[in-house]
Formats: sequence, C-alpha cells, structure tokens
Amino acid sequence: MTSRKTVSTEPAAANGEAPDARDAMGRPIASRKTEVRLGREVQARIGQQLRAMYDEVVKEGVPPHIAELVRRLNEQDDG
Amino acid sequence: MKLDPAIRDQVLATVPSLRAFAISLSGNADRADDLVQETLLRALAHIDSFEPGTNMPAWLFTILRNLFRSEYRKRRREVEDAEGRYAEMLKSNPEQPGRVEFAEFRAALAKLPPDQREALILVGASGFSYEDAASICGCAVGTIKSRVNRARTRLADLLSIDSVDDFGPDRATRAVLAGGGRS
Repeated sequence: MTSRKTVSTEPAAANGEAPDARDAMGRPIASRKTEVRLGREVQARIGQQLRAMYDEVVKEGVPPHIAELVRRLNEQDDG
Repeated sequence: MKLDPAIRDQVLATVPSLRAFAISLSGNADRADDLVQETLLRALAHIDSFEPGTNMPAWLFTILRNLFRSEYRKRRREVEDAEGRYAEMLKSNPEQPGRVEFAEFRAALAKLPPDQREALILVGASGFSYEDAASICGCAVGTIKSRVNRARTRLADLLSIDSVDDFGPDRATRAVLAGGGRS
C-alpha cells in the first residue's frame, strides 16, 4: 500500500520500532504498537491527500495571465 | 523596474506552489488568484528588499501569508462566523480545482483554525522545514510543530480515517463532511 510511505515530516519516525524500545515512561513500545501504527497510517494518509490536493494546483504551472503580469511589471518604466 | 533575469526566473518558478498555497489557504480559486497577483505586485515593487541567494519561496510565501491574514482579520470583523463563511465559499465555488476528489478533505481543512491550517500546509504540502514555516508565520519553531500536530489530529478526527480501517467508513460522518449536512 502506497500510503505506508514514510513522510519526512512525520514526528513519530524518530521513535523507531526496535522490539525492546521503550517510551518516555519506560513502557515497552510493543504495548502501544498497534496504536502507533494506526496513528502513522492515518497521518500518512492525511499527508498524502494534502499533497495530492496541493500538487494538483502546482501541476497547472504558471497561468498565462500571471506570466503576463510579471512580464508587464518587469517592463514597466519607473521613470 | 528591470528585474535581474535570475530573480525573475526564481519568482516565476515559485508561482505554481504559491498558487497552491493560496488556494489551500483561502479555499477559493478567485480569491487565491487575487492573493497571488497582489503578492507579485508587492514583491516586485519591493524586490530590492529581497537578498539574492536567500530563500525566494519563503520570501514570497511570507508576503502572501501576511496579505491573507490581514484580509482575514478584516473580514472577521465584518462577519461573525468567519470560518463558517470560509466553508460556505468552498461549496459555492464550482471552479474549485479538484472539487470532486478532494471535496471531503477540503471541507475538513476548512474547519481548522487558520493558524493550524497554514502550518500544516506549509510543512505537509509546500515542503518547508519547520524553521522556514516558523519564519513565514512569524512564530517559534515549537509553535509550528504543535500547530501541525494539532492540525493532523483534528483532521484525522474530522475525516474519521481511523474508523475506516477498523470498522469500515462511518457513513453518517462522512456524508455530513462531504455534503455539509444540508439539503
């Protein structure tokens, strides 16, 4: 599933998933593993949707009227 | 004003992402277009204050973000329920890009407080570092981190993504989110 891709902004990534890892309270991570995995999956999906929505606009590039605006501003004589 | 061609190219190269930011932030394609144009007008009028070699995207995003926020504050004085109005605009705009696939997601995004929405977009979609996002929003790095985390938690709640895996879609909730709960 592509949504498992790790997101660079995922803060949980630093926790690691070593079998004997312990959380800040000294509890074995394994006891929270399902919760953590679910959390990561949810966050990965949110990240994915957010980027897909955003990238759809990015892919449109520079609209002609914006390119024209920059061109006009650039050629304006400020004398 | 005659721009250094390298600077002009940097500005143009930032436009696609700047538009995506404006649309995600305002939820309205027309308003986003105004924001982008106004940002470019201001940026090019004050291009001397841009230090070559520094982060052009961050500079332009800061201008757009501040324009949006000052507008938002103005509108907020006019309209009691500014966020309700934002959600309203989302639905009433047929030109909204990706309105079919992302309608539910946009509706949820619209329900976030603006602080959280902008932090999440900058870090999660625009790809800025926490440090750059903090400088764009004029706040501390820790503040950005906590806003991003709160935004993600809230979105997960709103979209009830966790229940999809465990129990199948919560149809009532999803229908409300997708259709706004009105007929």
